[in-house]
Amino acid sequence: MTVQAPEQPTQPGASLRALTWRREPKPRWKGRLRRRNLDLWIPGVVLGALLFACYLLPLFGVVPNPMNSDLTATLRPVFSPGHILGTDAIGRDVMARILYGGRTSIEVGVSVNLIGIVVGGLIGMYAGFRAGFLDSLIMRVLDVMLAFPALILTLVIATYLGPSELNVIWAISVFSVPAYARLARAVTLKLREERYVDAARMSGRSNRAILLEHIAPNVLPQLLTYSLLQIGLVVIIEATLSFLGAGVGPSQPSWGTMISAGQVYLSTNPALVLVPSAFLFITVVSLNVLGDGLRSRFGGAQ
Amino acid sequence: MVSTTTTTSESGGFDPAGAGALRVRARAVRRSPSLRMIGRRLLLAIPVIWGTTFLTFCLMNLLPGTAASALLGASATPQSIAALNVKLGLNEPFPTRYLDWLGNALHGNLGTSLATGQPVTSLVLSRLEVSGELIALAFLLALGCAIVVATAAARRPGGIADWISVVVSTAGLSVPSFVVALALVLVFAVKLKVVPPLGFVPISANLGWNLRTLILPAVTLAVGIFAVFNRLLRADLIDQLQTEDYVTTARAKGASPWRVLIRHALRNSLFGLLTVAGLQIGALFGTTVVVEQVFSIPGVGQQLLSAISNEDVPVVEGIVALIATITVLANLTADLLYAVLDPRIRHDSASS
Amino acid sequence: MAPAGPATATPDAAALLDVRDLSVVLSSGGRPLRVVNKLSYSVGRGETLAIIGESGSGKTVSSRAVMGLLPAQAEITGSIRLLGSELVGLPERELRRHRGSEVAMVFQDPARSLNPTMKIGRQITETIRLHASTGRRAAERETVELLGRVRLPSPERRFHDYPHQLSGGMRQRVMIAMALAGNPRLLIADEATTALDVTTQAQIMDLLLDMQAEYQMGLVLISHDMGLAASYAQNVLVMYAGQAVERAPVRELFANVRMPYTKVLLDAVPRLEREPRSPLPAVRGGQPDLDPGRRGCAFAPRCRRCEDDCRQREPALETHEDQHSWACFHPEDPAPQPAGPTLRKVQS
Repeated sequence: MTVQAPEQPTQPGASLRALTWRREPKPRWKGRLRRRNLDLWIPGVVLGALLFACYLLPLFGVVPNPMNSDLTATLRPVFSPGHILGTDAIGRDVMARILYGGRTSIEVGVSVNLIGIVVGGLIGMYAGFRAGFLDSLIMRVLDVMLAFPALILTLVIATYLGPSELNVIWAISVFSVPAYARLARAVTLKLREERYVDAARMSGRSNRAILLEHIAPNVLPQLLTYSLLQIGLVVIIEATLSFLGAGVGPSQPSWGTMISAGQVYLSTNPALVLVPSAFLFITVVSLNVLGDGLRSRFGGAQ
Repeated sequence: MVSTTTTTSESGGFDPAGAGALRVRARAVRRSPSLRMIGRRLLLAIPVIWGTTFLTFCLMNLLPGTAASALLGASATPQSIAALNVKLGLNEPFPTRYLDWLGNALHGNLGTSLATGQPVTSLVLSRLEVSGELIALAFLLALGCAIVVATAAARRPGGIADWISVVVSTAGLSVPSFVVALALVLVFAVKLKVVPPLGFVPISANLGWNLRTLILPAVTLAVGIFAVFNRLLRADLIDQLQTEDYVTTARAKGASPWRVLIRHALRNSLFGLLTVAGLQIGALFGTTVVVEQVFSIPGVGQQLLSAISNEDVPVVEGIVALIATITVLANLTADLLYAVLDPRIRHDSASS
Repeated sequence: MAPAGPATATPDAAALLDVRDLSVVLSSGGRPLRVVNKLSYSVGRGETLAIIGESGSGKTVSSRAVMGLLPAQAEITGSIRLLGSELVGLPERELRRHRGSEVAMVFQDPARSLNPTMKIGRQITETIRLHASTGRRAAERETVELLGRVRLPSPERRFHDYPHQLSGGMRQRVMIAMALAGNPRLLIADEATTALDVTTQAQIMDLLLDMQAEYQMGLVLISHDMGLAASYAQNVLVMYAGQAVERAPVRELFANVRMPYTKVLLDAVPRLEREPRSPLPAVRGGQPDLDPGRRGCAFAPRCRRCEDDCRQREPALETHEDQHSWACFHPEDPAPQPAGPTLRKVQS
């Protein structure tokens, strides 16, 4: 017969187990940045400055027309008089093209994700809530869409719809919607088990009301958190499409097109490639850092 | 959203923590008995492949603009367009055309190119060799570097290896692949002049030059997947070191920290890494299109781009169908490979 | 009987393991926790010591300290002498030489303590080759022999098995074989049988004792199970809040319990002789305070014999009677205790 001493709840025991091992020291700089919310402030300011520069600065009349080509002033280097970031091969001011190209990136990034959240979110919530055959069907379709290398199909769609900002948005949304739908469905499935959903159902609320009042408010924050990281992704995809010639077309500046046009001059005027690349980098990194920071504070999408 | 450079884990998006993810996935695979799982995956694969080919066919044939008018160009008159349509069979009703195509495809005949008149299958396969070599090279690079860096990072979190991996990963994930490509070209081809900025020399001609033309594109491709592998592997290794009892046992035996890391922890992570690797192939194709364009590599990606702009529908169809099939098969193989390699599945367990 | 003074005064030169005033302070979320508090004990060749305590009593941490398996952040003070060599303060590289070869450990859950993707034979040969320059074949032969010695059926076939192919008891035998592979002088069994069913427990314990005799080792049994101590140990050390609160040869302890905490442990054991439906005595109160600045006896808040001086000063472990030490200002009266669970096999 085994005889045992009474076991107390293992509070010190459990924490000891964790302590008696090498704890991974978090990179120290991360902690310091976090404590002062710098990881939110810095990207926030950067993105704010970008938004300001792209949308408000032109109102002050300091930004030349990005489509104006001045063949007497082609391929000017950075810091030339009158063209702070130089000019491209047909004399268009690079700074202006950067700012207006920024608009393209922002607009596409935000629109695609908005569509994804709304459409994808609704589909996902519906599928997750109803379950059953309809849900399985939707899931299968989503699986099909997500299993495919999206860039290729997006490329095909964008090419055939024709070059325009709207078409690019549609093309990328085709893959944004399933991604959000999947997330929304997963969250909904979990939420469905919550007690307050049962309570609402028992008090006779219609399914639609439950969805709107209880499920949606809890799904939405997760989708929003996820979207911050996705905006950066969409910006990259838009740039790639433009680079390959399937993007917004020559009527509108885009960072991708600028880089594509600048390739030829890589050895002589690398700035034509480096400047838009730098802007892409800074924008996406800021979005990612901001997204990560918000997600670690408010919990989030997996 | 499936991205060009980031992972397509089954959740369809990022896996932020990654901790234990490799082995969690492993446990999930283990739970379902092998045969059933294989069957299920195969069944799922079929509709996926079918669905993508169908989707592409729809796009190709329902979107504005017809191949005929593109081919004939400026000299197109309505009559000549109509005649060409009949000749190419483009005036048949949509379902007929699709079923025809599908039937042929299942026999390995992917039609004939509208631009060159050659059979699509042979056109694509010849290009596939080149892309294949590029992808294989990129994979090996990424895998090798990720294993080395992640192990070093797990040994000393916050140390140099960690820094390097953070920098490279951030760079890789925050810019489109063509930016990485051009940056590499600027440094290595233009400034340092150690490799040609573009072009391709086939392996049959000269191995040395072949590698030299492929190294930059391979590195570009590798950067993206390196980021994914590294993050997952590092998190998994550290998770093992912190929570698994067999690590304590190994240390208690008197094994050095490196030995514990490599011979015990890494061993267990590698299985899961294989599965993730398989899943990456899909995303890799997208990036390959861009990379082949920048470096002028005559692979499948470049072929796709020119076919799209030529509106060479059968070629686009064929390539898309092929890529879909390869992606799905790669995913399937990765899962199966895992089931085959894990000793827990290979050998039936005895009592308790 | 005149007190013989603090139990830690004279180091035992012949002891395999001599722990003196060992203290370990770990940091939990910024707060320091003294999980081991001036612990002292020694283990000699052929001796079986049981260290009994609840979770959080410090018994596992102290044994990890002996093995040198604590993280670098742990503050370790005091002395741990293993076969005469001081272990406290040694760098990792040095500690590794002792681990597995002079002192070995058998862990609690063999299912999780064995690497699931490595054949068990390989896990044992690894130990052998870590500490001796044995060739692969020789190591394999040695391993098969070891597996036979721990009474694993068909050792040659089992060599190539993976852990999941073995039952719990067999896995624990493999763990023991692995521990013995380095020819240790001291074996620490940390809750080695807790995860096993009762029958297997007895078999494993018997095996451990037989191996101890064969290898002439010191054996430390760490457990929360008093019965285990009663059945298999020669000496028992009871720990509470990181401290040694009572130490005695096993018969003496059960016959003559002194420390109120130990008494409570014994009392709380369900016994057939008790009145039916009588309430099981339990200890009231909560977790002990592990703050290094704590004054007074750690058990004071829960002790029914607590007086003022208990809260002011910390009682030290002192040897009062023949080999029986306790750390208490107001110990129980030496009344005869009902003999606990049947004492089965006690090494002499």
